[in-house]
Amino acid sequence: MLNQKKLIVSHAPFWHDGSSITVRSYHTMLAALPAALFGIFTYGMPALGVVSLSISFAIIWELLINKVTQRTVSIGDGNAALIGLLFAMLLPATSPWWMVATGTFVAVVIGKHIYGGIGGNPFNPVLIGVAILMVAWKDYFDFNEALVNYDLRFAMVYPLAAAKHLGTSGIEAFSTAGLLLGQHSGGIGATFGLGLILGGIYLIIRGFIRWEISVSFLAGVFVTALLFHMSDPSLYAGPVFHLLTGYTLIGAFFLATEDSSSPVNFIPMLIYGAGAGVMTVLIRNIGTYVDGVVFAILLMNLINPICDKIRPKALGKVV
Amino acid sequence: MTPKRELQIAYSLIIVFLFVGFISYAAFPAKTPDEPIRLMYKTVAGKVLFDHKIHLSDSGYGLACQDCHHHPEEPEELEEALVACGECHKVLEEGKTFPDSCLDCHEAEDLEDSEVMKKSDAFHSQCESCHQEVDAGPEEERCSWCHVM
Repeated sequence: MLNQKKLIVSHAPFWHDGSSITVRSYHTMLAALPAALFGIFTYGMPALGVVSLSISFAIIWELLINKVTQRTVSIGDGNAALIGLLFAMLLPATSPWWMVATGTFVAVVIGKHIYGGIGGNPFNPVLIGVAILMVAWKDYFDFNEALVNYDLRFAMVYPLAAAKHLGTSGIEAFSTAGLLLGQHSGGIGATFGLGLILGGIYLIIRGFIRWEISVSFLAGVFVTALLFHMSDPSLYAGPVFHLLTGYTLIGAFFLATEDSSSPVNFIPMLIYGAGAGVMTVLIRNIGTYVDGVVFAILLMNLINPICDKIRPKALGKVV
Repeated sequence: MTPKRELQIAYSLIIVFLFVGFISYAAFPAKTPDEPIRLMYKTVAGKVLFDHKIHLSDSGYGLACQDCHHHPEEPEELEEALVACGECHKVLEEGKTFPDSCLDCHEAEDLEDSEVMKKSDAFHSQCESCHQEVDAGPEEERCSWCHVM
């Protein structure tokens, strides 16, 4: 009677809920798909070429680096495909194939695998790829120049370039609804505001990204742009314009939220997100670059480890 | 999903997207239209974005081709020989007095005394004179009216 087993407790974890990096990667790709498809329909076959080649090259680079470094083949987790898709979404539709190949190599190999693969990268791999290309071949990232032969049903001047060089008089052609519906030029998957917002909300609801980072990033952009706009309405565009143009939305939901380069605690997430938002508008309004999202997020990636020092006191710790 | 199945998906993605990407780049290269839509002039003073379509279209400024493409002068010749500004107005190689494009229609000996205005002068005089006629700038010393990008 005394030896009767009434309760058996095994070691944790007790049950696997079925979540995995693979599920996460493919769901993030699914969330990004509306914006990417919109870009492909807008810019046609050249955009499809860029997106397709980028996804396949990203996986190929990961496979090759796995083989070269004699590590387990990790392409099954879908992260390389996700990097390829997000990278393509930031590019102009007319990007040459060699730029896609180089950029995905930089993103996957230099941005991620040099640091030991997924989870070890201090910077967002996609942004490392884009930043190096932007510095190396800046003319290809000048959307006015890259899309010079496109004649779509809306004003084709790149909104952020017009705002930077001409002030608010240069952006009268852009309405908020038009910007939300993707009626402006830009990266293949970065212009369809509504699609990006819906994708972001899906990721937040599913718990794949943290709302704190996205919301604080957008708030940082909004408040800073509002202050600039209030200081000189003829020179600086309004906050809504900054929220819906350039890489802001794709940055808020798909780039700033990358796991290993963003903080995990509440206050650090707010600092990280808001800092990237503020830097974005500072670079756009008083910096050299037309769009600041790429460098702003990379800069905040850099201070991410310091942000994470702000954490709850360990339980029972006296001092 | 088993790791084997995940790998199969990844390999399938490589094959499908490589194929689609290759076909898209090879069969549908980005085309340059016969009549330009916008042109980006790269200069040391900052790039100039010129909207060719707005200048030409009736809903825009409604200019005739000959208003800018002034050579050759006869309209019937112009239809066939419409050339880009930079074909003639360009920096010449050392020792040359006229660009090679002249030889498409003229004999070399006919061109010995000819002088072609250099590109920056040609563009400045062309754009400025027309813009000032219609009171559309640029103000004196304001390079940033055009050199903005």
